[in-house]
Amino acid sequence: MNLSRSSSSDLILDVDHVWKIYCRNLKRAMWYGLKDVGREIIGGGRDRSHHDLRSGEFFAISDASFQVRRGECLAMIGPNGAGKSTMLKMINGLIKPDSGSIKITGKIGALIELGTGFNPILSGRENIYINAAVLGIRKREVDGLMEKIVEFAELGHVINDPIKTYSSGMRVRLGFSIAANLRPELLLMDEVLAVGDVGFRMKCFTHLNELVKQGVSIVLVTHAVGMLQRVATRSVVFGQGKIVHDGDLETGCTIYEEMLGASDRVRAKKKEESGRIGEIGSVEVCNEGMEPQAEFETGETVRLRIQINAREKIKDARLIVSLCSPVHGVLSSVSSPYQGIYFDVDPPGRVITLKIPEIPFLIGAYHFNISLFGREKVDFYHRSSLRGVFRIVGPPTNADGYGINGITKLQHSWEING
Amino acid sequence: METEFEKSKPSGKGEQPIAVARRTPETSRDVNSDGTEASSQGSPNVTTYSAQSSIQNPSQLIRDIFVDFWLGRELAWRLFLRNIRGLYRQTLLGLFWAFLPPIANTAIWIFLRQANVFSMGDTQVDGTVYILTGMILWQAFIDAFQMPLAMFNKNRNLISKLNFPRESLLLVGVGEVLFDLLIRLLLLIPAFLIFEVPVHASVLYAPLAILGLVLIGASLGLLLMPIGSLYQDVGRFISMVLPFWMIITPIIYVPLTTFPGSLLNWVNPASPLLLLARDWLLIGTTDHLAIGLTFAAAAIPISLIALVVYRVSIPVLIERMTA
Repeated sequence: MNLSRSSSSDLILDVDHVWKIYCRNLKRAMWYGLKDVGREIIGGGRDRSHHDLRSGEFFAISDASFQVRRGECLAMIGPNGAGKSTMLKMINGLIKPDSGSIKITGKIGALIELGTGFNPILSGRENIYINAAVLGIRKREVDGLMEKIVEFAELGHVINDPIKTYSSGMRVRLGFSIAANLRPELLLMDEVLAVGDVGFRMKCFTHLNELVKQGVSIVLVTHAVGMLQRVATRSVVFGQGKIVHDGDLETGCTIYEEMLGASDRVRAKKKEESGRIGEIGSVEVCNEGMEPQAEFETGETVRLRIQINAREKIKDARLIVSLCSPVHGVLSSVSSPYQGIYFDVDPPGRVITLKIPEIPFLIGAYHFNISLFGREKVDFYHRSSLRGVFRIVGPPTNADGYGINGITKLQHSWEING
Repeated sequence: METEFEKSKPSGKGEQPIAVARRTPETSRDVNSDGTEASSQGSPNVTTYSAQSSIQNPSQLIRDIFVDFWLGRELAWRLFLRNIRGLYRQTLLGLFWAFLPPIANTAIWIFLRQANVFSMGDTQVDGTVYILTGMILWQAFIDAFQMPLAMFNKNRNLISKLNFPRESLLLVGVGEVLFDLLIRLLLLIPAFLIFEVPVHASVLYAPLAILGLVLIGASLGLLLMPIGSLYQDVGRFISMVLPFWMIITPIIYVPLTTFPGSLLNWVNPASPLLLLARDWLLIGTTDHLAIGLTFAAAAIPISLIALVVYRVSIPVLIERMTA
């Protein structure tokens, strides 16, 4: 890692070769738990060698190392079960690593779940005191922050009513407002960005950016990668307990999207059967000059070379090609009949190329779903999903309102009137 | 993996961060006198989490436990108020529910005694007051004994998601046990008046014995908590043996003084301090001073061990709650 420009005193979080072992079998997990308690009591807790897994155990985290510096906002992303939340729990000190160490400088504020510890019968105001006390804040400090918390949560009119009369959105707002107004040096957040209405979410992002500017470090776990660009400055991508990427956010999001695609691809493959009359064979994404290429810039020409195999002659075939993103689903679907194209396929097959000039999509991972039909709706031959994976790698997008952002590049122009 | 990252920003020195969750386990740490405020610059708190057992450094561990008791005091008070308020806002009879169990139990045993089902021996004061006092003390003991597991189960969500001084939950638990006990002890005022029981100066020492009784109950419960939270069998077993335990505790009868019956007082942790407290409350003199004080003294190291067990087992238990 090249971090030479930051001094070591700026290091807030240092995760050093951390391993964590879990057990999925409930009965065994209980028994191991009892043994582990016993081992802790007699002082036998120590790094477990990486090979000594007990029956039924697996590595929830394998050899993870990363660092977070002051004023950095790190996003931990990855598919379900990849180990992100486990890592967050270890950073928060809720569970211990089985090997390796985690060093934290300064105070931690955790938002593992918003509003944990709210009592529904008590008023919002009483619950603010309780929640703040759980986070380690004194009453007199809370008194000073009370107005700010209530105002930020936009709950001034109901703050003396019992929490059970609040909507779930109101509870979330209150929980976020408490934790975010307390200014820890390291803020941990687990899936809390995807809540609340759009207006409040924007307010949260603004607030988090403000905290980062003031030197607060943030580690957040989320699946809502679309929103990450608003706050995160860096990403660590987890895949099956291992860190597969540590670096810039955009590459991280792309890798994550590809991982989602990959797991779908495995599923799709299992379904596939053989023995069709006609099927989609090899699929290649190529550049203008028909050379295979996996990375493009927005606005370049993408050519999709589709090999169609046939055992028997197919008359008046048509192709339907959908361009998809693992996160957003189908972005656009085109069919050959739209441009009046039907074609015959003689055994063993032929190649059809789809040209997409000036691809409008922005940074991300993309793929195609391809279906082969005859002239009629019922003349179905083959559908092949998650083919021709490619990435758009540039130019950079901007989520702060100074460039373009989203999925596609909209053709547009501005006019200043009046 | 090669990473270029150069976004380090000015450290916001103008803003003194407000103290937030202050977890400081087994390592190099730099807690100020009040334990929460970070020193402005220079010596920041460093917290390290590793696989090492914190028990390998026992003096640090004990110190951490007491620091967390101190840090958790306000949280404990808040949670205590929350529970009490929450409890009584949702009941019609409110505090009456605290009085009910000892009154009901006493009534049953008074009825059985009047039916000559059993004999109490020479109680020196009226039998009803004797049983009522015993019942109130016994209730406090088993409340304390069952408190740690109940507290853990009730707060699983909080424990598994937030890092806060878990010792505060024990403060809340003991607080609730003592709160209920105090309310029930109020029953003794009309009982003393109705049954004309004289008040002795020894009533003033009784709180010592009562606290010892609660402490030993809570410590034993705390030692069982890790197993009990993993295996529900423990909770079931306890609720099954409680009636038998009550019978072998001298609540409804005068303690046996002849061997081997007297042995029961030494093996039953509930007996000695209950007897001592009751004698001090009702009779003024006691034959149980030595054994009572022995148990009270033993309660201190036992409670320390129990606190250590509680503290080191919590991360393991959280893991098994969420794995």
